[in-house]
Amino acid sequence: MTRGTLVYAVQRLVLITFTALVVSSVVFIGVHQLPGTALASERRLNPETELALLRHYHLDLPWPEQYALWLQGLAHGDLGESLVNMGTHITPLLLRELKVSVTLGLGAVLVTIIVGMSLGVLAAIRQNTWVDYAATTAAVVGYSVPSFVWAFLLILLTVSGFYAWSGGTFYEDLGWGKIEQIPVPAFALGLPYAAIVARLTRASMLEVIRQDYVRTAWAKGLSARVVILRHALRNALIPVATILGPLITGIITGSVVIEFLFGIPGLGQEFVTSIISRDYNIVIGVFTFYAALVGVANLIVDLLYPILDPRIRY
Amino acid sequence: MTRSSTLRTFAAVLCAAAIAAACGPTPGPSEALAADQTLRMGFQNDMTSLDPAHVDSAVDIGILAEVFTGLYKFDNQLAIKPYGASEMPSISADGKTWTFKLRKDMVFSNGDKITSADWVWSWTRTLRLNDAYASNLEPITGAADVEAGTATKISGLSAPDAYTLVAKLDAPAGYWLTQLAMPTAAQVLNQKVITAAGGDDKWTESVTTYIGSGPFKMTQRTPKASMDFEPVKNWWGGDTGKLTKVHIDIGIDDVSRVKKFESGGYENVGFANQSPGPDDVLRYKNDPVKSKLLTIYNGARTSGIGFNFVKGPFASKPGATPGESTVNPSDPGLKGRQAFSMAIDRAELADIACAHAITCQPAYGGPITKGFKGYLGDTGDPNAKFDAAAAKALYTSWDPDGSKVKGLEYRYNTSGGNTKRAQNYQAQWKKNLGVDVKLVPSDFPTLQKDRKKKIVIMGRESWGIDYDHPQDWFDNLYSCAQAKIGRGNDEAYCNPAMDAITTAANAKPISDPATVAEYVKAGKMLVNDVVWAATDYGTQPYLTQSYVKGMGYNSLYDFPWEGIRILQH
Repeated sequence: MTRGTLVYAVQRLVLITFTALVVSSVVFIGVHQLPGTALASERRLNPETELALLRHYHLDLPWPEQYALWLQGLAHGDLGESLVNMGTHITPLLLRELKVSVTLGLGAVLVTIIVGMSLGVLAAIRQNTWVDYAATTAAVVGYSVPSFVWAFLLILLTVSGFYAWSGGTFYEDLGWGKIEQIPVPAFALGLPYAAIVARLTRASMLEVIRQDYVRTAWAKGLSARVVILRHALRNALIPVATILGPLITGIITGSVVIEFLFGIPGLGQEFVTSIISRDYNIVIGVFTFYAALVGVANLIVDLLYPILDPRIRY
Repeated sequence: MTRSSTLRTFAAVLCAAAIAAACGPTPGPSEALAADQTLRMGFQNDMTSLDPAHVDSAVDIGILAEVFTGLYKFDNQLAIKPYGASEMPSISADGKTWTFKLRKDMVFSNGDKITSADWVWSWTRTLRLNDAYASNLEPITGAADVEAGTATKISGLSAPDAYTLVAKLDAPAGYWLTQLAMPTAAQVLNQKVITAAGGDDKWTESVTTYIGSGPFKMTQRTPKASMDFEPVKNWWGGDTGKLTKVHIDIGIDDVSRVKKFESGGYENVGFANQSPGPDDVLRYKNDPVKSKLLTIYNGARTSGIGFNFVKGPFASKPGATPGESTVNPSDPGLKGRQAFSMAIDRAELADIACAHAITCQPAYGGPITKGFKGYLGDTGDPNAKFDAAAAKALYTSWDPDGSKVKGLEYRYNTSGGNTKRAQNYQAQWKKNLGVDVKLVPSDFPTLQKDRKKKIVIMGRESWGIDYDHPQDWFDNLYSCAQAKIGRGNDEAYCNPAMDAITTAANAKPISDPATVAEYVKAGKMLVNDVVWAATDYGTQPYLTQSYVKGMGYNSLYDFPWEGIRILQH
């Protein structure tokens, strides 16, 4: 890593921190203007009890004071306590769920890259054949169908379908905790983006394989594998890397629905359940994590450019 | 001894043995138990708190009942039995002094002995923290002072020796035994462990400090992910049953729970109110094979419509201050309340709004839920009998020009079930009375706030029973005192005569049928005045694998884990 790249990375990290702070502050102020909290319950509490609970969560203080206390906690990495599940500390909870979401996200990125690039390369090197037409059609279908529809189809196939066809022997266990539970939700999340990568890779490859240096490589008698993978593909990846940043953002935000549908205990599911249950402390924490996650993911993608194209320097 | 006397003695012993064998329990066919006695379940919701002093939900109660112990408990038929106490309490003639004899063999799961000092400390702590169910200890003299923070000791509670507890009450409270049996705030805690762990907020954060005295202990907890429990070795209460482990996944929605149940991943769906969804229940109900795994129990909830007694067209005494008597011989709102109640076909409501009467059943017996003490019987509420013609006639005579119901709104908090109910009410009022009622959904805190301000003219009402005693209803929902302070009784209904009946009944033991009769009398006043139009009672569907025995639900609590076993399958 060059000095320039290091400086660039540090500058971006500072910007990410500032962005996450701004986002979480906006959310903090916003949720504290909303009526009601998670503390409302059917069994009406007496005023002293209600006050004791509000005091426990510092909700009895004016919101600027609450904000100052919260900033103090944030500086120490303490995002507070859940309003719904008393005693549950938010930071370790979200860190654990972040790990789950990142695992799922990485799986989806792998699906996006492997499936997308494979389809794109195949379509390009077999241009105007049935392979090209099949791959292109698959890509169109892939990005036309939203990820949550893929999720439903895959659940039907792997849960109900396989279970019924195999007489109960083969069954996809929804949830999380086993390695075999990663591929299906990762496919559901990654497929629409794989289709976009396939189209882009095809276009990019078609342009590159017509270049003089590639023609020279063919003329030298190099094998197809060497020409495609070593000479053509690396240059064809640059436009793909360009959209990888927004793709990853899409994967992160799309994981909210996928996690909910598959019962995956990640940030996405926490995001939905904390909003429904009005657990505002967790809502603020999740937004903070998401802001930081999107920033870091885009930074990693930006740091890939100099590796792919040595001409790019920061 | 002579030979003949030996023979006579031998014969006598043989006869005694034969009689004992005939009178003793008949051994049934032995059950072939599975090698793996792990009970696995999935919950949508995590516990709101692991601390008995802060318990607030069905999930909390279901778990705390296994880990902690109170003086008394409910058996599977909701009869009250001694638990931490060695016998039922002795109560003085005036009903104000209760003496509890404690078991001498009780220990916490870490081996620490339990004495009366632990009970005193635990109850004092519950009152000091003053959360939802601290009210279960409020009958004790001095409890209010601890709740208010003006005293550090409960003046009416004493421990004359290590195994005796004496409580002096402000007034006789026949319902107190029922409150003590509820698996919540009156359970005993380990002061040493809680103090060493860092106080009130820290002891629940680790399984090593999360110490109780119940038959099971928590061995693993990942918040919002999973919990594990194992039986306590050599538990003072006796046999902890056959289970060797209980594993609970958290964050599993109702559809996923059933899917996993169907693949054998879970033994039960329904424990701790984590029911299967109505679509799945319907599917099981209609399948001749699957239906054997489904049981639909009566639930512990009543839902209906509440009418404002001090403001609006249904008021019996318009302009009255909440807490002031609303008894009015000319009651200008009575016919309207009756008409709006009679215009609801409860069977149609349950069919349409409750997935063909899966998630609720029609209510015809008044506000107190069917199956619980104080229930008025299946025809106990005359205004629940659907009669469109009579309802229309009543309405027309009450509001001939439609001016009273102009702009009338029905307020409710949004949820799947509440929305369907509201839509059905609206449709039936339109069809049967010709009245257009506007539906106004809101979030629960907003609805509560407006109900407390007594500006909700007609709105959703619902109550989940805490324990099987009518006092839970009357003192929380219908008394003049509640109307005044606004913690309940959103209708501001105030009937001093009814209050007098329930106050007198509260002092008497519920085991006396005459006491129940008094509450029934009070209940009839409620239905005659149409305070609530109770429309449906809740249900609790349970899916249990055929190879699991001992699981069940008694309309209020799940059967304990000690009775559950998993057969070979």
